Amino acid sequence: MSEDTLPVNNEYDIISVRSFGRNAAVNAGFGIVDQCRITTAISELARNAVVHGRGGSVTIKIVQNDKKGIEIICRDEGPGIVNLELALQGGYSTVGGLGIGLSGAKRLMDEFQITSSAGKGTTVIIRKWLK
Amino acid sequence: MEIPILKIEDFLIVSFQTELRDDEIVKLREELLDRIKATNARGLIIDITALKIIDSFMARSLSSIATTATLLGAKTVVVGMQPAVALTLVELGLRIKWNVQTSLNLERGINLLREALKSEKDVVYE
Amino acid sequence: MTEKEEYVEELSGLLEDNATELKKQWVKEMTDMGLLEKLTLIEIEQQSTAIYDTCVLTLKTGMYEAAKKYAREMAKKGVLEAMTVDQIIMGFLKLRDVYGRFIFFKYQKNVEKLYKVLDVYEPVANRILSIVALAFVEEREMKITEQQQAMLSLSTPVLQIRDQILVLPLIGTIDSARAAQIVEQLLNSIVDTQASVVILDITGVPVIDTAVANHLIKTIQAARMLGAKTIITGISPVNAQTLVTLGVDLSMMTTIGSLRSGVKLADEMLKLVVMEKR
Repeated sequence: MSEDTLPVNNEYDIISVRSFGRNAAVNAGFGIVDQCRITTAISELARNAVVHGRGGSVTIKIVQNDKKGIEIICRDEGPGIVNLELALQGGYSTVGGLGIGLSGAKRLMDEFQITSSAGKGTTVIIRKWLK
Repeated sequence: MEIPILKIEDFLIVSFQTELRDDEIVKLREELLDRIKATNARGLIIDITALKIIDSFMARSLSSIATTATLLGAKTVVVGMQPAVALTLVELGLRIKWNVQTSLNLERGINLLREALKSEKDVVYE
Repeated sequence: MTEKEEYVEELSGLLEDNATELKKQWVKEMTDMGLLEKLTLIEIEQQSTAIYDTCVLTLKTGMYEAAKKYAREMAKKGVLEAMTVDQIIMGFLKLRDVYGRFIFFKYQKNVEKLYKVLDVYEPVANRILSIVALAFVEEREMKITEQQQAMLSLSTPVLQIRDQILVLPLIGTIDSARAAQIVEQLLNSIVDTQASVVILDITGVPVIDTAVANHLIKTIQAARMLGAKTIITGISPVNAQTLVTLGVDLSMMTTIGSLRSGVKLADEMLKLVVMEKR
């Protein structure tokens, strides 16, 4: 199971991590549309980390149990999201896309988990499985 | 990264060739709007054939460029969206602001703009 | 070390020490049953060693990763090559028998110990067998899915009826997998044929639920991103009611009764006039 962690602290990093994510998706055997979904979801999370999370890291992992898939963990140590439910409904859409990014990433992937608390940062885990 | 903005008759055409950083997109937007003003362009075509990903930020940017350009007198069409990107954008969510007229390719885009200018009706987002 | 661990160590040690003998016996029994006819001697030697060792390793470590991996690889190859599935499974059953008899032979003088060793051995042997069987079943299912996908793309033909008009007749029930495949195929067709109008005919779709309705909307929106307008034809009165009840955003859809009027509408949209040949 290969795993790589990259920093996302600025805009250059967003692009790098996207590239990396796309390659990982290609290598894992995902089709063109899924590659696009995965890369876009990564972009959304990475951007949130840079813009709202004061920087963080993205870990991309190919997972193989009884099914094969890709797992991305995005961590930041920013201010955290106070009202997760509101954010996921896009309630923070006025704050430059935080909620849109999260709900977007959720819609594009098969699994989505988020933990966040005020002052402690945010961790988002997303997964997509090969069909 | 220099992105060339071409002028064909009274249209401006810009091609998004590579992955653009957020600050580059912002800069490009300013440049486009300046050029529209300077050349009195009646139409703007944004060619995104080479874009393999459009996330919510890019979608918002394209939308805002289109809206502002139109205000400045240049009707805007985005052309060449990849099928995978189209599907992903739709799935990304309806809350993404996307008030942009789209066409399959450059040729169609130009025809669309000519038609719209001829009848002087607004390029309608249906 | 627990008593169980002791037995595991003792048994695996025995199986390792007697590997050559037991393997030979196993191969002989398989040959007698005609299971190995299509294999060369080298292949027999290699495969039997690999399997034997993997089984002992599994017993020793209690970890099934190696066994699973090997089973998966075998399933990928085995189904196509020299042995059929039932021959392979029979081979494994034979190995289980050979091990089993060996255990009886070794511990025949101490029945209590025999049972304890069997307690340690049997679950492992059975688990290995089910891993092997499962690997083949999964491989078979994957092949069937692949074939189904291939058939799916055949069964949802996208027809080009004019220079810029595509017709996509949807037939039958549409599940998520099929819907995803249909949209992708349609979008690619739009690009390939440079179509400006798509007619989605749902006469043959008996039931529309929320999922299908959402797929329809997704299709319409994605097609529009590619500059193509979509017309939906063939909505039955029942389905029409469903759509209304579901609260689907109907402003999204251009609909018209029959396929024929749909084509006419498409022509009008493209400002085409079809002239009769005189």
